[in-house]
Amino acid sequence: MSEKYIVCDPDKCLGCGICEFVCSAVKDKSLDASFSRIRQVNFEPTGSLAIACLLCEKPPCVGVCPMDALLKDEKGVIRVDEYKCNGCGWCINACKFGAITLHPTRKVAMTCDLCDGDPECVKLCPFEDALAFSTIEEVTHGLRKRAVDKILHELLKVRTAGSS
Amino acid sequence: MFGYRGKILRVNLTKEKIAEEPLEESVARKFIGGRGLGAYILFNELQPGIDPIGSKNKLVVATGVVTGIPFPGNSGLNVMAKSPLTGIWGESTAKGFFGPELKSSGYDAIVIEGKAKAPVYLWIQDGEAEIRDASRLWGRPTREVQRVIKAELKDDRVQVGCIGIAGENLVRFANIMFGFNHFAGRTGMGAVMGSKKLKAIAARGTGRARYAREEKLVDLLVDRLNSKEALSGPYFPDGLFKYGSLADLGYWQETGRLPTMNFRKSLFPRYENLTAEALAASPYLIRHNTCPHCTVGCNRITKANTPYELDPEYATPEYESTAALSSFCMNDNLVATLKAIELCNKYGMDTMSTGVIIAFAMECYEKEKITRKETDGLDLTWGNHDVMIQLIEQIARRQGLGNLLADGSRKAAEKLGGGTEEFAMHVKGMEFPMHDVRGMKGHGLGIATSNRGACHLQVETDDMFEGQLDPDVGIDETTFPKEHRDRLYAGPEKVRLAKIIGDLFAVFDSLVICKWTVYPCGGYKTRTLVDIVATATGWDFTMDELMKTGERIFNLCRAFNVREGITRKDDKLPKRFTEPLPEGPYKGEAFPKNVFERMLDDFYRLRGWNRKTGIPTREKLEKLELSYVADNLTDLGLILPAKK
Repeated sequence: MSEKYIVCDPDKCLGCGICEFVCSAVKDKSLDASFSRIRQVNFEPTGSLAIACLLCEKPPCVGVCPMDALLKDEKGVIRVDEYKCNGCGWCINACKFGAITLHPTRKVAMTCDLCDGDPECVKLCPFEDALAFSTIEEVTHGLRKRAVDKILHELLKVRTAGSS
Repeated sequence: MFGYRGKILRVNLTKEKIAEEPLEESVARKFIGGRGLGAYILFNELQPGIDPIGSKNKLVVATGVVTGIPFPGNSGLNVMAKSPLTGIWGESTAKGFFGPELKSSGYDAIVIEGKAKAPVYLWIQDGEAEIRDASRLWGRPTREVQRVIKAELKDDRVQVGCIGIAGENLVRFANIMFGFNHFAGRTGMGAVMGSKKLKAIAARGTGRARYAREEKLVDLLVDRLNSKEALSGPYFPDGLFKYGSLADLGYWQETGRLPTMNFRKSLFPRYENLTAEALAASPYLIRHNTCPHCTVGCNRITKANTPYELDPEYATPEYESTAALSSFCMNDNLVATLKAIELCNKYGMDTMSTGVIIAFAMECYEKEKITRKETDGLDLTWGNHDVMIQLIEQIARRQGLGNLLADGSRKAAEKLGGGTEEFAMHVKGMEFPMHDVRGMKGHGLGIATSNRGACHLQVETDDMFEGQLDPDVGIDETTFPKEHRDRLYAGPEKVRLAKIIGDLFAVFDSLVICKWTVYPCGGYKTRTLVDIVATATGWDFTMDELMKTGERIFNLCRAFNVREGITRKDDKLPKRFTEPLPEGPYKGEAFPKNVFERMLDDFYRLRGWNRKTGIPTREKLEKLELSYVADNLTDLGLILPAKK
């Protein structure tokens, strides 16, 4: 998958829920988190994580829709045809991440549309790099860098210890 | 009514009766919520002189108009009752997820009366409430109680406020833990719950308040978020996120005002072990934590295996707890300090009072007012952290010396006698916060006159204001030139500053908003709050009304205290502060009695209180639309009747 998606770093997310507020505010002018396309879960004291649509390669939500109302577009975004959607909820059950919900008032499937490629939640997340809009390649590159940095650090310790 | 749920839940534990009553809009507008609403209810309903741990005391848990509006600092609630520690107005705020959940569950406030026969907990869900058996929860530590209740109710989104064994054992500075790492910490509200055999309050809701101009409110909040206003306060850009409030520890040391050895010293030689930087560089800090919708992220979670095992469920340090349990007791061991905090949180007692009381005991031991016989062999030498930890266990369980200390430093000194009163660092019975007021004069006045005893959160002046102005509340360069905002300045302008801030903070605790996010500590300007309240409620709310409301609430709490016998004689600081600071940049600086008394004269004049007695005048109360309060004080013979 080369498309960018919304990634949450569990080491940096503090579980404030600003992403939920921003999403419901921007999309529906609501103060209700149930309007948000990104949702956040806290496990205290261990950590927290926000989840939005992960742009699955083989999206089960699209496959199960009996009304053919869901479609994956060329950018990987799941589009809901609100005329076809009858709010049956099969897509909601199919998504293992809880990333699709029912729109509280329109009662149709609701999922993240990445704000046309510039997600507001990522821009307004208060904790640096807790939310990012990245491709798989960028994410894994970051993870590799972190791991290598740690290894090099340890190596350096061994080397300096050996030289003294 | 917009901005509120419009309902108060009233629970009588003696009669096992639950009722609902409306929150009138006129009351909401006059008293806002939180502290103001609690003061309104308790002044009307509590007879003066009642026993704080008797069945006649009432506990009010109140949210405010901004509670639950998704913006930084919004998540507060205030818990109020007559305090078992001080015998006067008791209150404590807590942030976190409980306040918004309570409001979601359908109520702006809960009033709890009477006393249950056996342990119970209160369960509130979407406008329904139920008193449930809590016998199997009695004796359990705070987080475990929360876990068991969530499991019993089969919903992990239930929010629980509960007491630990300190509250059960009526430790007079027991607190209430709300969710993870949030406490209504001060004035012993946990002991009030314990006395009522109320182990916990659980809330879950799916509703929310409606707002007068909801779309405008959304725009306002997004705009404020975009401008990062909350993050523009004096603690930023490095800020509370990077170091937490613990950053203060290094600051007070550098400026020679770190409370050390029961205020006998102002520098702690081994302070480097305890700073925010030391914690950040240590292997113990595992992550940061934040309140709902807060961009500040000031909380810390720690873990360790040695020399003490730390449970991250409870080991959550911040400045006041850390200083009280380290430098104040001459303890230089970081993990031991974290362990002490962990135990206080697990048993549900105020870390600040605990630290001050241990320091009191250590000084008594040093000066042979307590002997090894009375401590059952515990060696209470300054800095002996092993013994501190044992003492915390004893206090929570009221065992041995702990039983004496569990009544607070004032009562302990009364019982010990022999001049130990001079070692008890308290005002009106509440232990001191970790602020040495010899080096911050306005703060000294604030602490001496605060309605809940020695409290740093009801008036904060000095350092914070040296670089922070807010012309909207009348704090600007012309009215308060730089020299009058200086930390050591003790003239009439500083007194006026203390009055303004006292009124302002009374509103903050009523809204209920976290002081870390608002002027002067945080980045939000007071104007932004006025806009949010006006947009949420639809009231033509102005800055003037905000300040007047604050003054009303401050005076109402004072009137509550006046009925309990508080007068000018009680507005004082411990004698120790008249002695000069022994070291550091402010060496020689004291808080002489004559300077303090002059400030107090000015303060009473500004407040419109009787200069001799410190009792609010009828004229002042009437101006604040508190005629009924004036009449009540007249009936009790405390102020003169109205002129015919």
